[in-house]
Amino acid sequence: MLIPHKYHPPVVAAVLLIISLTVISYSASRLSETGFLRKMVLEAAAPVEDAVNVSLKGLHDSWKRYLFLVGLEDENRRLRHGNAVLSEQLNHYREGYIEGMRLQKLLNLKDSLTNRVVAARVVDRNRASLFKTILIDKGTADGMRVGFPVLSEQGVVGRIIETAWHASQVLLLVDGNSNIDGLIQRSRAQGILQGAGSAGCNLKYISRVEEVLPGDVVLSSGLAGVFPKGLLLGVVTKVSRKGEGLFQKIDVAPAVDFGKLEEVLALIPDAGAEK
Amino acid sequence: MIHYLLLPMLLLLLVIVQFTILELFSFGWIGIEISLIVVVYLGFHLDALRGGLLSLLLGFFLDCLTSAIFGLYMFLYVLIFYLSNIVGGKIYAGKPALIASFTALCALLEGLMIVLFYRFVFGADILGAIPKIFVPQAVVVGCLSPLCFILLHRFEVFWHVEDRRPARRI
Repeated sequence: MLIPHKYHPPVVAAVLLIISLTVISYSASRLSETGFLRKMVLEAAAPVEDAVNVSLKGLHDSWKRYLFLVGLEDENRRLRHGNAVLSEQLNHYREGYIEGMRLQKLLNLKDSLTNRVVAARVVDRNRASLFKTILIDKGTADGMRVGFPVLSEQGVVGRIIETAWHASQVLLLVDGNSNIDGLIQRSRAQGILQGAGSAGCNLKYISRVEEVLPGDVVLSSGLAGVFPKGLLLGVVTKVSRKGEGLFQKIDVAPAVDFGKLEEVLALIPDAGAEK
Repeated sequence: MIHYLLLPMLLLLLVIVQFTILELFSFGWIGIEISLIVVVYLGFHLDALRGGLLSLLLGFFLDCLTSAIFGLYMFLYVLIFYLSNIVGGKIYAGKPALIASFTALCALLEGLMIVLFYRFVFGADILGAIPKIFVPQAVVVGCLSPLCFILLHRFEVFWHVEDRRPARRI
């Protein structure tokens, strides 16, 4: 060995540094040419780099697709939300339209009546109670008084039995305490229409000799002074002359569907009639 | 013998990975120079001849694939290797903080030498690259170096599991 062992590292370092500096100066002087070793490295590296890049591109594409799906989910959620909002709006408008139609019918009824009327909204209905009543949002402040008749576009609803300043309770036609003077439209036979709860109403005090048929229309007679004459009360559903007695048993289905009642008209009688 | 044939391929693979996969994590801003950490590791753990040759080879691969000045990385890596070799022979290079700070220093030195090289050889002024690129790069490389040292040590143990060479005298 020409060089002592302890000088090996600096000598090796110097040699390697000289080699690298030589490479720099050589490559600087011959910029246009690519050396053989460099070509080999590039040749060896190119397929590997290509494979890695293809894999990365695949990963990148997958990631982008995943992000796209995430975006799609967001968009879907947003669209669902938008759909819910629009559905709600549509319901709102539909409800408004239906309400408008109902109010139009009420208005038509109002126009056909000579009495002054007050439109009221049904705010509560007593379903379970023994008494068949509804609560409306108009009271004495709006001119409501006990005994005033209440109508809907379908026919007679009942009459007011309690009043507060801004609410009134209406006794429905079907309540057992309700008695309205009525007549059969076809035969003009007069009787008293009494409520029978969920069974509807009974038309009482019609003589057995009167011809009453199912389907006959029952109207208010206007005799008691509470309901004007000619308001629709219901339709005869069943007539029975069985048993002894002077009168027939007549079942009447009320004209009004009380379960769907939303707006009503309260009739304010003429001042003279009220007295 | 097969080890000495496989090692250059692994080094080439490392350089390829460094310039394909690791670049994704740097968002095109700075390079994550794992090869520099490898050179520092070699400086701490290998003798002058083998470590120097491997560093030269690593620099060569880097020059082949990236450098505009062929031989620049060969020179820099050999220089950094011997610097690490000298430092590794004088201190106990097992503490992560020391590894991190020394690697960051080497990265800074590398950046500075590239800037100087460009200035004196090409007359190009790229001093602005020091705070913008080389300092953050040095910080990243410094932070990664302790982890890389652990991984490299495990790789070295695995690599020489059948190699019954006597322990290196420090």
